[in-house]
Amino acid sequence: MPRFLHTADWQIGRYFNRFDTDNSSALADARYGAIERLAQLAVEYNCDAVLVAGDVFDAQTVSDRCIRRTFNATSGFKGPWVMLPGNHDAALAESVWTRAQRINAVPNNVHLALQSGVIELPQQKIAVLAAPLTQRHTYEDLTAPFDSLSTPPQWLRVGLAHGSVQGVLAEDIDATNPIAADRSASAALDYLALGDWHGLKEINERTWYSGTPEPERFRNNQPGFALLVTVSEPGALPQVEALETARYHWHQWQEKLVVETDIDELLKRLDELPESSVLDLKLEGSITLAGEQRLADALSRAEARYRSVTYDRSRLLLAPTEEDLAGLQASGYVGDVLEQLQARQSGAETQIARDALAILASLLLEARKEEHP
Amino acid sequence: MKLESVRVEQFKQFKKPFLLNGLSGGINVISGPNEAGKSTLVRAIRAAFFERYRSKSAENLRPWGDSSAAPTIELVFHHNGQNWQLNKSFLQRKRCDLSIQGTTYSGEEAEEKLAQLLGYQFPKKGASKEEHWGIPGLLWVEQGSGQNIEQAVVHAGDHLQSALNSLVSEVVSEGGDGLIHTVRQQLGELLTAGGAPRGEYKQLLADELPGQQELDALESRIDQYQNQVDRLAKVAREFHKIDREQPWIKVRQALAEAQERYRHIESLQGQQQTLNQALTSVQQRAALLQRNKQQVQADGKQLQQREQEHNTAQQALNDVQASAAGLHAALEQCQSQYRDALEVERQAGLLETRQRLEHSSARAKTQLQQLSERKSRAAELQQALGESRKLTARHQISKAAVDQLRTTQRQLDDTRLRSQAIATRIEWQLKAGQQIELGQDTLSDQGEQLLLSSTRLRIAGVGEFTITPGGDDLARCQRQLEQLQLALGEQLLTLGVADLAAAEHTLVAQERAQADVHRLLELLQSLVPGGLASLDSDYQALSAELERNCAEKEALAPATTLAKGLPALAQAQDLRSDAENRLSAAEKRFGEHEKALLAASHRYQNADHEWHTLRTSLNSEQRQQEVVQLNSDLIAVEQEQARQQERLQQMLAQIAAARPELVQQDIQRLGASADQLEQAQRGRELELKELRARLEVWGAEGLEEQRGRCLAELEQNRRRCQQLQRRAEALQLLLQLLTEKRQALTQRLQAPLQKHLNHYVTVLFPDAQLEVDSQLLPGRFTRDGETGQMAELSFGAREQMGLISRLAYADLLKEAGKPTLLILDDSLVHSDSVRLDSMKRILFDAAQRHQILLFTCHPDNWQDMGSETINLEALKARAVI
Repeated sequence: MPRFLHTADWQIGRYFNRFDTDNSSALADARYGAIERLAQLAVEYNCDAVLVAGDVFDAQTVSDRCIRRTFNATSGFKGPWVMLPGNHDAALAESVWTRAQRINAVPNNVHLALQSGVIELPQQKIAVLAAPLTQRHTYEDLTAPFDSLSTPPQWLRVGLAHGSVQGVLAEDIDATNPIAADRSASAALDYLALGDWHGLKEINERTWYSGTPEPERFRNNQPGFALLVTVSEPGALPQVEALETARYHWHQWQEKLVVETDIDELLKRLDELPESSVLDLKLEGSITLAGEQRLADALSRAEARYRSVTYDRSRLLLAPTEEDLAGLQASGYVGDVLEQLQARQSGAETQIARDALAILASLLLEARKEEHP
Repeated sequence: MKLESVRVEQFKQFKKPFLLNGLSGGINVISGPNEAGKSTLVRAIRAAFFERYRSKSAENLRPWGDSSAAPTIELVFHHNGQNWQLNKSFLQRKRCDLSIQGTTYSGEEAEEKLAQLLGYQFPKKGASKEEHWGIPGLLWVEQGSGQNIEQAVVHAGDHLQSALNSLVSEVVSEGGDGLIHTVRQQLGELLTAGGAPRGEYKQLLADELPGQQELDALESRIDQYQNQVDRLAKVAREFHKIDREQPWIKVRQALAEAQERYRHIESLQGQQQTLNQALTSVQQRAALLQRNKQQVQADGKQLQQREQEHNTAQQALNDVQASAAGLHAALEQCQSQYRDALEVERQAGLLETRQRLEHSSARAKTQLQQLSERKSRAAELQQALGESRKLTARHQISKAAVDQLRTTQRQLDDTRLRSQAIATRIEWQLKAGQQIELGQDTLSDQGEQLLLSSTRLRIAGVGEFTITPGGDDLARCQRQLEQLQLALGEQLLTLGVADLAAAEHTLVAQERAQADVHRLLELLQSLVPGGLASLDSDYQALSAELERNCAEKEALAPATTLAKGLPALAQAQDLRSDAENRLSAAEKRFGEHEKALLAASHRYQNADHEWHTLRTSLNSEQRQQEVVQLNSDLIAVEQEQARQQERLQQMLAQIAAARPELVQQDIQRLGASADQLEQAQRGRELELKELRARLEVWGAEGLEEQRGRCLAELEQNRRRCQQLQRRAEALQLLLQLLTEKRQALTQRLQAPLQKHLNHYVTVLFPDAQLEVDSQLLPGRFTRDGETGQMAELSFGAREQMGLISRLAYADLLKEAGKPTLLILDDSLVHSDSVRLDSMKRILFDAAQRHQILLFTCHPDNWQDMGSETINLEALKARAVI
C-alpha cells in the first residue's frame, strides 16, 4: 500500500527578528530538526516517499551552509523526496535550487520539481504531478495542467502544489496564485498535497494542507504537523493521519489583569506550559506592587525555563495599595513622589510614569531588603 | 564637638613633635608671630581630615629638604559623648587609625567615618579641593578667604541639606538622599551630566545609522540580484526561443537565392559586355569606311580646286604680261625727260655763276668805294680828335681840385657869414660931412660893418672906442676864416685860376672837350671798328677779290651759248629732281612688274603641273574600282551595325528586367540581417554566461540570509535602545520629582537660618537685614532703607558678614546635633576698632555654643575675649615626647 508523508513550508533560513540572538538561533536550528524528524517518521512509518509542497527555503539567497544543512537533514530517509518550489523559493532562471545543484548539495534521492509536469517514482509506482512556481509573482492556477497530464496506469496520481485554494482561504495567505478547490476531482488525483497555509487544514477528502512542521509564528492555526497519507490502491480514498513534528509550541497570550486572582490565574497557566514553549505575553490592566513583584519574578523564572518569553507590560499600570506603600516605607517627600507618579500614570506620559514608579518601588524595596535582610 | 589636642610631627616646620593642647570648649585665641606655625597647624588639622592617607599629593606636607619624612598628625576630640582619636601619617609611612570610643577603624574605613561625621567627602583621585570640603570647608575659614562665602556654601550644599534635614518639622525622608544618589547614579550610567547618551545607550544609538545603512545596502544588493535573475530568465527565454527558431537559416537561404540571381545577372552582364565589344568593332569599321568615303569625296573636290587654281594662275599671268608694254614705254619717257632736265640744269648753273660773279664784282666795287669814304671820313675824325685832345690838354684841371676849391669857397663863405653873424655889427649914419674912423677905415655917410675883432673906433672930437666883439667863436671863426682864405688862395694858385668861377669855367671847358673826345672816339670806333689798319686791310682784300672775279668771269663761256628762257638754277634743280623721282618710280614699277611676271608664271606652272598629276591619278582604273568596293562595304557594315545594336538592346533590357540594384540591396540586407541575428544570439549566449557567473558569485554570498541577520540585529538594537530610552526617561522623571521635593524641603530650612543670621546681624548693624535665599546663600542686604547685595559691600564688611553667616550655619548645625568646630585663621584683619568690638561680642556669644580656634598674630586685639591666649612660641619651646 503506497504511503507517503506530506509536508510543506519549512521556511529554512528564516530569521526571527523579534527574539534575541540566542533564542532566534535556537528557533532557526529547530527547523533543521524538523526535517530530521520528518526523515525519522518516514522511516518509522515505512513511507514510500516524502512530498514537500513548497517554501522549503525562506529566501533565494540563503547561504551555502544553509542549503547543505537542509539536504543533509534529509539523510535519515533514503527513499525519494520530492521538493516543490513555492513562492519564497520559486524556480527562477537562477534560484536556490540551481545553486543547490551547482554546489552538488542535492542528494540523488531528492527530486526537485523545477518544471511543471510529472515526476515518476517507478519503484514506488507513484506519479507526482508537480505545479512549481517558476516566477516571482504568479497569478494563475498552476495546477490547471494537471487535468490533462497523463500518468502510467495503475500508479498513484498525487498532485503537489503551492498556493491558496479559491473561495476557502480568503485572507492572509502568502502566495498570490489560486488553486481550484475541485482540482483533485478534475484531475483525477488520488491526493492533492498543498503548501502555503502554515497550519494543518483539510480542504476536502483528497485535498489537504499539511502546514509547517515547526511553527514559526504566533498563529493558532495548528502548525507543527506532517500528514501521513496512505492510499490502499489507485482511486481509493486516502487515509490521512496527522503526526506531530513540532519541537516548540508557540503561544501568544493577551491578558487583562484587574484583580489579584487574575495574576494567580496567569501565573498558574504560565507554570503549566511545557518547556518547549515560545511565549509572547501582552499584558494590560493594572497591578499592585506586590503583584508586579510576583509577576516580574514569575517572568524571570519563565524566561530561564522556556525557550523564549517576550512580554509587553507597558500597558499594565502600577496601582500600589496602602500595604504596598507601607511596605516601601517611603517617608516624607519620597512618599509624595510615589503618589505623584501614580497620578501621572493616568495622564499623558503613562508609560514613563509607570516605569518611574516601578523603578522607585524597586529601589525602595531593595533598600528595605538591605535594612532587613 | 570639642577638639582636645593636636600633635604634629615631621609636618612642615614642625620637624620635632609639637603638641597643642589645653583647648577650651569655647573660644581659643592662639597667637604667634609670623611664621610661628599658625597656618601650618590649621593645615595639619585640615590634612588630617581632608587628605587621604594614601594620597600622593601630600609632598608639600613634608619639612623642607627631608625626603624621607612621614608627616604625622594626631587628633583627639569628643563628640556626642564619644572619644575620637585619629592618628594619620603620610608618605613614607602611610597609616590612618581611628578609634571611636575604643572601636578601631583603619584606612579608608576610618576616613569614611570622619567624612560622615563632619559632612565632607574625599576626591576620587588626586588632592582634596574645595568642592570636597563640605561643611568644614564652610566652618574652617582659611586666611584671607573670609569674605568669600558663596562657593563654600554651594560646595557644602548637599552636606548641609543632609545634616539639616532633621530640623524640618515634618517627617523627612530617611534615605531620601541615598535614593536620589542612587537614581542619579543609575541615570549617570545612561546619560552624561549634559543629558547626552553615554555608554551602551550611546553606542546603540550610534549603531543605528550604520546598521540601517548596512541593511539598505543589502536590500539594494538583493534587489540587484533579483533584477539579474529576472534578466537571466528573460535572456534565457529569448535565447532558447531563438535557438529553436534559428531565424538566420531562412535569411541565409534567401541570401543564397539572391546571390544566385545576382550571379545570373552578372553572366548576362558579361554577355552584354561581349556584345558591346562586337558593336564597337563594327562601329569602328564603319567609321573607317566612312572616312575612306569622305576621302574620296575630298579627292574629287581637290581636283576641282586644282583646276580652278590653274585657270586663275593662267589668267593672272596673262594680265601681267599685258601690262608689260605700257610700263616699258613709260620708263623710256621718263628717262628722256630726265636727260633733258639735267641739261637744263647745267646750263642754268652756268648762267647763275656768271651772274653771281657779276654781282660780286659790283658789290666789291661798291664796297671799295664805301671803304674809301670811310677812310677819308676816318681821317677827318682823326684830325678832329687830335684837336679835341689838345683842347683837353689845355683845359686841364682836376675836377677834384675844383671840387675842393668849391668846398673851400663855400666853407669860407659860411664862415664869413657866421662871423658876420657873430660879429659885432656896426651901422653908422653920419651926418653929412662927418667921418669916423673905424679901424683903419674912415667911414662916412651910412653904412654898416661887421667887426670881427677888436677895432678902434675913432670919432674925432669925441674919442676912441675900442670895440671888442665878444665870443670865443668869433676868434675862432676869424682864424678859420683866415685859414680858409689861405687855403683858398693856395688852391687857386695850384689850379692856376683866379677864382672859383674861373676854375669852374675851365672845368666845364675841359669836360666839354673830353666829351668831344669821347664822341669823336666813338664815332671813329663805329666807323672803323677794327681800326684804320683793318680798314686798310679790308680794302686790300676786297680789291684782290675784285680782281679774281674778273678773271673768273673771263674764263666762262660767253653768254650767248646759253639757251633762252632758262629758269633759275633752283628751279632747274627742282625740275631735275622731279624728273629723277619720276624716273626712279618708273624704274621701280618696271622692276616690280618683272617680278610679278616671274611669280605668276611660276605659279601657273605649278598649278598646271599639280592639276595634271591629280587628274591622272584619280582617273586611273584602280582607283575607280576601289571606290565601288568602298561603297558596297559601307552598306554591309551599316547593316551589321544595326543588327548588333538590336542584340545589345535586347540584352540590356533583359538585364534591367532582372533589377540588379534591387538584388544587390537584397544581398546586403539579407547578409547584414543574418549576421546580426547570429551576432545577437551570440551576444545572448555571452550575456547568459556572464549573468550565470555573476549570479553564481552573488548567490554564494547568501544575501538574504545576511539581510535577515542584519535586520535581526538592528531590531534587537532598536528594542534595547528603546528600552534604555524609556528607562532614562523614567529615571529622569523620578530624579526630577525627587529633587523637586527635596528642594522644597530645603527651602523650609531657610527660616531657621534666617533667624540665626538676624540674631548676629543686629549686633553689628542694628537696623540692617541680611537675607538668605532658597539656596541658603546670604545675598540681599538692606540698611537704612537701601538695598544691595552682600557682594557689593566693602572688603571689611564682607569679612564680617561672611563670618556671621558661618556662625549662623554653625548654630543651625548645632541644632541638628552635628559637630561644629570653627577655625578662624587671621580673620577680621580689615575691621576697624568699632566693628571689631561688635564682632568680638558676636564671637563671644557664639563661643557659648561652639568651640572656636582663633589664630592671630595680633594678640593685643584679642585680649578681651575672656580667655587666656595660647602662645605658640611658648608651646614650641616646650619639649614634647
